[in-house]
Amino acid sequence: MSDAPLLEVTDLTTHFHTRAGVVKAVDGVSFALKRGEVMGLVGESGSGKSITGFSIIGLIDQPGRVEAGSSVKLEGRELVGLAPSDLRKIRGKQISMVFQDPMMTLNTMLTIGTQIRLALEAHETVSGAEARRRAVAALAQVRIPDAEAKVDFYPHQFSGGMRQRVAIAIALLHRPKLIICDEPTTALDVSVQAEILAEMKELVAELGTALIWISHDLAVVASLADHVCVMRHGRIVEAGPTLAVLTHPQHPYTQSLLDALPSRSEPGKLLAGGVGSDIAPPPRLARQVPPAVADAVHYVRIEHVAKRFTQTPGLFRKLAQKAGLSKAPTVVQAVDDVTLVLKRGEALGLVGESGSGKSTLGRVAAGIYAPDHGSVRIDGSAVMSAGDNPHKVTTRVQTIFQDPFASLNPRMTVGDSIAEGPLAHGLVERAQAKTYVRQWLAAVGLDPDFATRYPHQFSGGQRQRVAIARALAMQPDVVVCDEPVASLDVSIQAQIINLLIRLRQELDLTLIFISHDLSVVRHLCDRVAIMYRGRIVESGPAGAVYDHPQHDYTKRLLAAVPVLPGTATT
Amino acid sequence: MKDASPAARFWAEFRESRTAVIALAVVVLMIGIALLAPLVAPQDPYDLANLSLSDARRPPGFVGEGGYTHWLGTDAQGRDLLSAILYGLRISLQMGLVAGAFAFVLGVSLGIGAAYAGGRREAFIMRVIDLQLAFPAILLALVLSASLGQGKMQLIVALAAAQYAYFARTAHGAASAERGKDYVEAVLSTPLPGWRVVLRHIFPNCLPPLIVVATVQVANAIALEATLSFLGVGLPVTEPSLGMLIANGFQYMLSGRYWISIYPGIALIVLIVAINLVGDRIRDQVNPRLKR
Repeated sequence: MSDAPLLEVTDLTTHFHTRAGVVKAVDGVSFALKRGEVMGLVGESGSGKSITGFSIIGLIDQPGRVEAGSSVKLEGRELVGLAPSDLRKIRGKQISMVFQDPMMTLNTMLTIGTQIRLALEAHETVSGAEARRRAVAALAQVRIPDAEAKVDFYPHQFSGGMRQRVAIAIALLHRPKLIICDEPTTALDVSVQAEILAEMKELVAELGTALIWISHDLAVVASLADHVCVMRHGRIVEAGPTLAVLTHPQHPYTQSLLDALPSRSEPGKLLAGGVGSDIAPPPRLARQVPPAVADAVHYVRIEHVAKRFTQTPGLFRKLAQKAGLSKAPTVVQAVDDVTLVLKRGEALGLVGESGSGKSTLGRVAAGIYAPDHGSVRIDGSAVMSAGDNPHKVTTRVQTIFQDPFASLNPRMTVGDSIAEGPLAHGLVERAQAKTYVRQWLAAVGLDPDFATRYPHQFSGGQRQRVAIARALAMQPDVVVCDEPVASLDVSIQAQIINLLIRLRQELDLTLIFISHDLSVVRHLCDRVAIMYRGRIVESGPAGAVYDHPQHDYTKRLLAAVPVLPGTATT
Repeated sequence: MKDASPAARFWAEFRESRTAVIALAVVVLMIGIALLAPLVAPQDPYDLANLSLSDARRPPGFVGEGGYTHWLGTDAQGRDLLSAILYGLRISLQMGLVAGAFAFVLGVSLGIGAAYAGGRREAFIMRVIDLQLAFPAILLALVLSASLGQGKMQLIVALAAAQYAYFARTAHGAASAERGKDYVEAVLSTPLPGWRVVLRHIFPNCLPPLIVVATVQVANAIALEATLSFLGVGLPVTEPSLGMLIANGFQYMLSGRYWISIYPGIALIVLIVAINLVGDRIRDQVNPRLKR
């Protein structure tokens, strides 16, 4: 039983036969995994790392197909070509899987206890009492406090981290020999991620389970895996012990992935991984030359801003509340009395975990939400009009959103999207609009001829460039960036960060940069403000806050960030 | 494929279903012959000089006094049924499309307007529409056309009033979803005026489900009009739609002269089924759950 590999994958090839032709998602992948070993499978989106995981467990749907010649052997038994009923006996029992989004994999209509019982019954016969006892034990094993009571909870009563723990508990139920985790911590906050990583490490050691950890995040993999495989275009380009691969990468692709990480570069410098374009943005339009700045030190003033979200009760709910049938609506105090002042040309990083109110504050600053209390002023003039029905009155602050797939109108060509605002506000005449759009597309490193294309024809990184061009074409002085690189691959992320660094200098922009990623903020921002539960708990120059955090929350947050081995700031 | 506009991609995908393409061809063909009815019909059924009572109620294939074959037979007035159906199709389609268009404009404006305005205005508009949806469309149309009197315009008003609520509901649902999306917030933060946001951004993105509802509702309007005309409260006798042709032949059904009712009925069914098949295909295409 000793040295024979637990899992042996040879020449695994999974192709998708689509209308547009054959997509070679996985193209000849081979690796072996010993008992109790932890392997990291790293790659950017589209590299085929998830499909590799699905192929092992036989979860490839039409039009995908594991091609002939592929071999997946679990303890010498061939899994490719096995009948679905036989595969089902293996799934969950010998190999189990944990997915990225636990809200999608847990049934919202059943209690956790019921779901665990169903998972148990898939492979053995258990009595109700026995199932409950084992469910409680399983939850306790993944460090869920008060497991006895939590068994009867529904998934929505758990936080994201707790839900992922439940998913892991279900995956561990039958003591599988192998667990495949597909980006299990990607949707979680760093502090929760740190907890889950630590627990996973302990559990694997405790149970002797082998683990394949699929992730795009090199640092996460480094903290967990014994060896890593780096995937690109459906092939493994580099494999080896984690430390060796990350400190002395042999393949140029691995090297470029590492170079793209902001944590490995000096703050403010362009990242090596993202080669940017060198075309200068169009000069400020004559009529938009900003008036002499009255107060460059207190350029953007966010004063005592508060924003709460209430569900306004309808007629029937009001009646029900009066009758005591319904509870008062929940009030979420998203932003609670925040005051921030930005110098002209400064980049402020707004850092916090999900639910900290950082996005809401950004939207208030950008004039998308009207604050309940307080005001936002740029160079002395208010961003939003006063009155009962406030609306945005300035074009001097613009926004770049997180998800470039959602922030562009899918039914407009990108040229129209960029030109629309400037045309509506008379910044350019219709006759010059085309040239203006072309200038901006060039400035963000895109081919000017792309103006006639639709958003779906672009990749995520290209769309984000379009979104940046659209925001900057309005000739803003202040730009609010809401997680602009969070949904992008590291190499694309590096390009966008470089673009922002360059444009900021050339256009003398004041940036409010919202992010959960501490390393990105450190790289890009002069100053950081840490947000926690709607308040700013700490703020100051980036270097000072990172090196000498004062507030407990900041310390916790910094400690939770997974670190790459050999991260020497050169 | 990849370089095409959304509309071109839509068509490329639509073409994959042969049933839908055939159905669409049938719809186009029927609209075509309805438009060209005066040119293709063997007889002008409105011209009394062409009619001869001795030709009345003749079976299909009969050669009448006009010297041509009545391929679908003749009705009680000796009118060529094929010609009557072609002209009837013209009126039925006209009613369905115009009433559908009215209902679309009214319902979509109310639905998207409510979703964009939010708050009390939204609640008020949508509750009124919910109230109306509680009544069957046929009942509303019956009451309205009975009280408005006979006539094309009156019937269009009745049909549109009975149907706009479906458009409003769909538009409201789609617009509420689009309203919260980033791209709408992006244009609001530019900022652009509200009407522009609604017309150029929200409305075009609500179109897919609305097109589905529109096809189904045009078919429904045609059926509704036929029902009303069959019951005698729809169009005046001078505008014989398919429904009225069916009603005219109804009394002869049991005496073996099936063709006077059956053939207009078949024309009506083919038209409605074809429109619905096209609508089904578009719905499948728009439904993200069926996406490959």
